[in-house]
Amino acid sequence: MGKKVAIIGTGQTNHCSSREDLNEMELVYEAASAALRDAEMTIAEIDAVVLANMELFEGRALHDMWCGEGGGAFMKHSFKISTGGTSGTSGAISGYYHAASGLFDRVMVVGFEKHSDGNTSAGMALTDPFWDRHVAAAAIGNFALSVSEYMADRGVTQEQSAKVAVKARRNACNNPHAHLQMPDLTVKEVLESPVLAYPVHRLEMCPQSDGACAIIFASEEIAKKRCPRPAWVRAAVTRHDHIYLGEVKNRLATMRSLREAARVAYETVGIREPLKEFDVAEIYDPLTYAEIAWYEALGFCKDGEGGRLIDDGITQMDGELPVNPSGGVISTNPVGASGTIRVAEAALQIHGRGGKRQIPDVNLALATGYGVYCWSDVVILSSRPD
Amino acid sequence: MNRNREGEELLRVPIHMKLQYRFPAGAHYERFFRELKKNGKIMGVRCPECERVLVPPRPVCGECFTRTDEWVEVGPKGTVVAHTSIYFPFIDGSTGKPRPIPYGAGLIQLDGAYSAINHILEEGDPDKLHVGMRVEAVLKEEREGNIGDILYFKTVEE
Ligand SMILES: [Zn+2]
Repeated sequence: MGKKVAIIGTGQTNHCSSREDLNEMELVYEAASAALRDAEMTIAEIDAVVLANMELFEGRALHDMWCGEGGGAFMKHSFKISTGGTSGTSGAISGYYHAASGLFDRVMVVGFEKHSDGNTSAGMALTDPFWDRHVAAAAIGNFALSVSEYMADRGVTQEQSAKVAVKARRNACNNPHAHLQMPDLTVKEVLESPVLAYPVHRLEMCPQSDGACAIIFASEEIAKKRCPRPAWVRAAVTRHDHIYLGEVKNRLATMRSLREAARVAYETVGIREPLKEFDVAEIYDPLTYAEIAWYEALGFCKDGEGGRLIDDGITQMDGELPVNPSGGVISTNPVGASGTIRVAEAALQIHGRGGKRQIPDVNLALATGYGVYCWSDVVILSSRPD
Repeated sequence: MNRNREGEELLRVPIHMKLQYRFPAGAHYERFFRELKKNGKIMGVRCPECERVLVPPRPVCGECFTRTDEWVEVGPKGTVVAHTSIYFPFIDGSTGKPRPIPYGAGLIQLDGAYSAINHILEEGDPDKLHVGMRVEAVLKEEREGNIGDILYFKTVEE
């Protein structure tokens, strides 16, 4: 069992489709500085830095070298985490492990991506050279394949999917950092947007964003001294599944990496009824259908009832379990930062610093990460250290 | 956002690269692609522990952490377990160029295989695609020993 660790500060850039006013290192610096301000800390106090980024999307290697100084890593203990879409949550989990080991007292994690620098489609194409490069159809096509299986299996409708998009883009209006803020979006507009890969419409997919997010983890003694309401890390679990899409049966419906990570995390914290016990959830929803599938995988409802949860408004801001008050990944997706943002937003809700997107009285918050074909991270934060 | 404070257009550094790579296939892909090229056969490997037949062939079963070396022929017919129709010009990772749209793509479980493979479907109309439909691999005449030797999967009536 690791030592007690809490998140005491977070910082984000204002995410958008293109930050042409700065380069990637400056983007990292912006988020790191914001987190230090939030934690009322100086960079001199930080003793380890973890950087998280999805490599090759910007067409650059060695991000820890080019951007490390922007994250304050100069002459400090520093690592880079790169696990596809889960990079940001895995980076946060790594930051937690550093502090929980007892070897580091103040750890900063910075997740970042500058999609506008590069070509995401090319990055996605640089996969397995023997098979996938030839036949895979990037993230959207791969998702669309899984959606057809999921719809056939669970009977989820296009309208239910579109409702997720509407919820996300409306929630995003309360988040000054969110990329796609669409207060008046309707189900009809979502379903009339162009089909990218049948049955997935453009407005059902996440955007590509430029952005960075930083989190500061602190040991128990420091957290209690420096933060009025620390967000204690109660569980952090990561699971990876097979490398080829076709080896995972019905992956959206089964999503065994997320189910297994959640099972272990829930057991660690003693959670039996996640829908009732969590006050808020920030889940990694790369597209609308995935959010509905994750409701089921995370045990918010029985299998096949995910669509009902969105129909009944259970996951809206005023529902029993608000999901993604930030607007989620569907509204904002700087990939390497997207997972870090989930953890930061969950922490923000416990800190009580959520501004217009704050849910009242948050004591238990869930954050998840999703990456590659089926990798998952689950992080549980609490207002109580034990 | 496209101009600086002095009103000048922001500077960008354009880079155009042509890169070349050669990836050794490894013993399992070597055998898979040779069978495909010479004999037009699609092969899988069976894990001695869990007995799953894996296509593409993997030298180690991820679930059992066991070496696989029992080769079995699979397909060329199979069942569509997932499908989509692509309307967005994605880059073909083997050529670096966008693939012509629209086209169908599917996860196809070849007869005799545990895992499904992702590949191109001849049928691209979503109204004519459904989970459970039967398809058959169509191979190139002049095969080269790579996954492109399977051109696509065509719909078959049974
Ligand atoms: Zn096995």
